[in-house]
Amino acid sequence: MNYYLLISLILAAISGMFSITRQFQMLQQNSYFPSRYTKWLKENFEGLPIYLFLISSLLFCFGLYKIQTFFIAACLGFNIYSAVNTQKKSIKKLVFTARVKRLYTAAFLIFALFVVLYAIFGDTVLGRAAAAVTFLLSFISPILVYISWAVTNPVEKAFAKYYVNDAKRILKSHKNLNVIGITGSYGKTTSKFILTRILSEKFNVVCTPHSFNTPMGVVRTVRESLKPQTQIFVCEMGAKNIGDIKEICDIVDPDMGMITSVGAQHLETFKTVDNVFKTKFELANAVKTKNGKVFVNGDSAEIISRIENENFTVYGTDADFDFTAENISYGRNGSEFEVKLGNDTVKLTSKLLGLHSIINITGAAAIAYSLGVSVEDIKFAVASLKPTEHRLELKSSIKGSLLIDDAYNANPEGSLEAVRVLGSFDGMTKVIITPGLIELGDKEYECNYNLGLEAAKYCDIMIFVGNNRSKPMLAAAKDSNFPKDKVFAVGSFREAMEIYSGFADSNSVVLLENDLPDNYLN
Amino acid sequence: MKTNVAVFYGCRSVEHEVSIISAVQAMRAIDREKYDVTPVYVTKDGEMYTGSDLFTIEEYRNMPELLKKCKKVYLVKENRNVVMKYENAGLFSSKKPVNIDVAFPVVHGTNCEDGTIEGYFEYLGLPYVGCDIISSAVGMDKAIFKDVLKGAGLPVLDCVCFRAREYMTDKESITAEITEKIGFPLIVKPVNLGSSVGITKVNAIEELDDAITLALSFADRILVEHAVSAIREINCSVLGDTDSCTASVCEEPFMNDEILSYEDKYMGNSKNGGQSKGMASLGRKIPADLSEEKSKEIRDLACKIFKAIGASGVVRIDFIIDTETDTVYANEINTIPGSLAFYLWEASGIKYPELCDRLIELAFRRQRSRENLTFTIDTNILSGISFGTKGSKGAKM
Repeated sequence: MNYYLLISLILAAISGMFSITRQFQMLQQNSYFPSRYTKWLKENFEGLPIYLFLISSLLFCFGLYKIQTFFIAACLGFNIYSAVNTQKKSIKKLVFTARVKRLYTAAFLIFALFVVLYAIFGDTVLGRAAAAVTFLLSFISPILVYISWAVTNPVEKAFAKYYVNDAKRILKSHKNLNVIGITGSYGKTTSKFILTRILSEKFNVVCTPHSFNTPMGVVRTVRESLKPQTQIFVCEMGAKNIGDIKEICDIVDPDMGMITSVGAQHLETFKTVDNVFKTKFELANAVKTKNGKVFVNGDSAEIISRIENENFTVYGTDADFDFTAENISYGRNGSEFEVKLGNDTVKLTSKLLGLHSIINITGAAAIAYSLGVSVEDIKFAVASLKPTEHRLELKSSIKGSLLIDDAYNANPEGSLEAVRVLGSFDGMTKVIITPGLIELGDKEYECNYNLGLEAAKYCDIMIFVGNNRSKPMLAAAKDSNFPKDKVFAVGSFREAMEIYSGFADSNSVVLLENDLPDNYLN
Repeated sequence: MKTNVAVFYGCRSVEHEVSIISAVQAMRAIDREKYDVTPVYVTKDGEMYTGSDLFTIEEYRNMPELLKKCKKVYLVKENRNVVMKYENAGLFSSKKPVNIDVAFPVVHGTNCEDGTIEGYFEYLGLPYVGCDIISSAVGMDKAIFKDVLKGAGLPVLDCVCFRAREYMTDKESITAEITEKIGFPLIVKPVNLGSSVGITKVNAIEELDDAITLALSFADRILVEHAVSAIREINCSVLGDTDSCTASVCEEPFMNDEILSYEDKYMGNSKNGGQSKGMASLGRKIPADLSEEKSKEIRDLACKIFKAIGASGVVRIDFIIDTETDTVYANEINTIPGSLAFYLWEASGIKYPELCDRLIELAFRRQRSRENLTFTIDTNILSGISFGTKGSKGAKM
């Protein structure tokens, strides 16, 4: 046995433990799916480790063990530095969860195995092969990631099964717990928060936090957040494949359901909208076996066209629905609309703007009402809802005017809806400031032209930012015969605001579409 | 899975024993179908004990023996839960940590009922039954209570307040002020004690100094108010929170002495060899003999006072009626009334277990409305600031 080689192996193992940090970080951020990690790897793998491995291999093959030791020591230093540095700079760092610790343990044991093999067999074929593998794993750490994952995966599966069963046990021990499942292609997270807020006026409610909507996310919520006094569990359910919703339903056994929309999302796995519908309505099937109520958004065309002759509670904006938002208007206090709850027509006001928000609120109010939350409580809770930052967020602006901050909206359909919201501020001077939408590839011109057309329909004054960017919108203004003196194209937001301040008064409202106000509003 | 209610009682207070009686009653009343009850007895030294023997009132006669049978505990926050742990619990001990879901303080007097114990629960983020810190503190200080009510336009007797040092260094002018503004007969009270401790009725100026000296042995601040000679005392309990509350029927306690003394309130029957039964055993008339009109006036007033100080849970408000003028004055409030005023609620159609149930629900309700407000912002502002290197003179922000 060559002691220099042994030292090299130990150093290489330590070095490998450091260089794997970045790989585990990416495995974690790809939800521990090797396939998604591979996809990341293909896009981001760099050649440097391979060159270093070749150098090391040459030194090894020619028996230059002493030089190799120094070389590997240098690599170790470099890997420690880059591992620490990468973690420091990363926005989303590696979180040292129990699972990550198990992965590290597996990696360590694998290294230890090969180093010990060399120590036992020395310079035999077997010993040298063990040494070669150690170097390979040390330099090309993704290989070790796959092995560690494969070794720990059965353990993880056993843990997952234990957690699922534990969650089921906890749910069963809550005798009077009401579980409400929420799913949908769009709007499920928002609806979940709105529903939870309204229900919390009367009940002790727990909901899945953030956008936790996978089986394990749900299980974690049940195990960590459900308390004995919890009366309602609002559970968001996400799906990428047929059967995903059923899998969650099998765990939580929902008593009620809310389906916020069905649309063309995740078609790469679902293939057809029919499959999306089928999957979302796995929730309805689960609820129906318990004779529970299922609330569905009737404004979602893909839902309403598929649910004839079935017993659903439908909410939305059509007067035929069971719960309908009517007389919608927008103003200084946000949106205002009426919903018939029982015998009362209740006027609701909310800081949340946009038809989709109003529909979500209507659905949530319908569920809350059917669970016995009083009309007064619903009114108060809806009025206290807080908008998400920069998403149709109503603020006050210069000279007592209103600002609709929709800076984070970058999708074509959403931006048209924002313009329509602006259009419904009756009797006020309506102004739009926007650079248009970006990063839409071939469709960019068309989308911005359409945005211009829609804006011309509803706005009194249009200010486009970016001399080049504003061309499609200017064309749209011209084609819709929009008054020339009411449309402006400027180079910067500062200029846009200067123009706006000339018009602004307490009776004007400005929509800021797709850029941050903080950059120039002070 | 039952909600675990931890009943806190005892504490470093002159009303320690009264609290034990009230708490044992309450622990027996809580519905065991729905709740688990964990007694947390706080000794006069502030140590916390738990154990099943604490449910029996007779055990408290021999305190050292009782504490030997109990286990010393402490509370910690773990994974967003409040956990009660046993001191000296070994690795293989059967005494596993217990999750506490809600605290139910049944304490009386200063150093606990005055916002102290409420502050402890707030600090832990534990939902708790009853008034919050501010309303408890206002309720405990008779002078501030009067100020708040005056500010809300509610009727209270005028008073003169002063501190120990002011009186000791300038008796003459304070005595003069009292004589002039209040006149005799009058009542001297320490501002912050419940259950009539240290309160004296003074008929003539010669008795004044003794009464004040007695009161000063209990508190640093003294309140002097006119003693209404043609007086009826009426008490009324309020249940709810600032969004919605209801008043109980009124009661009229019988007075042995001219004012209801500590002995009247809590030792009424025990002299005759009977068991101590707390406020529930005091001689009283329920409902009080009042016209429907007067009763409504007092009950409305009680709800207004409840809301004015921002109370929650169950309180008892003591009123005075000057029978000569038929005027009602609010005298004081008990934010955790003796026996939780359950006898007033039973007379109003709410049984004790239901009262406890509602109180616990109110605790969760307050917690929910607090969670709907933002207390912390998730991002750490400090994370973006560089504090400079060694040798620099601290960070500038």
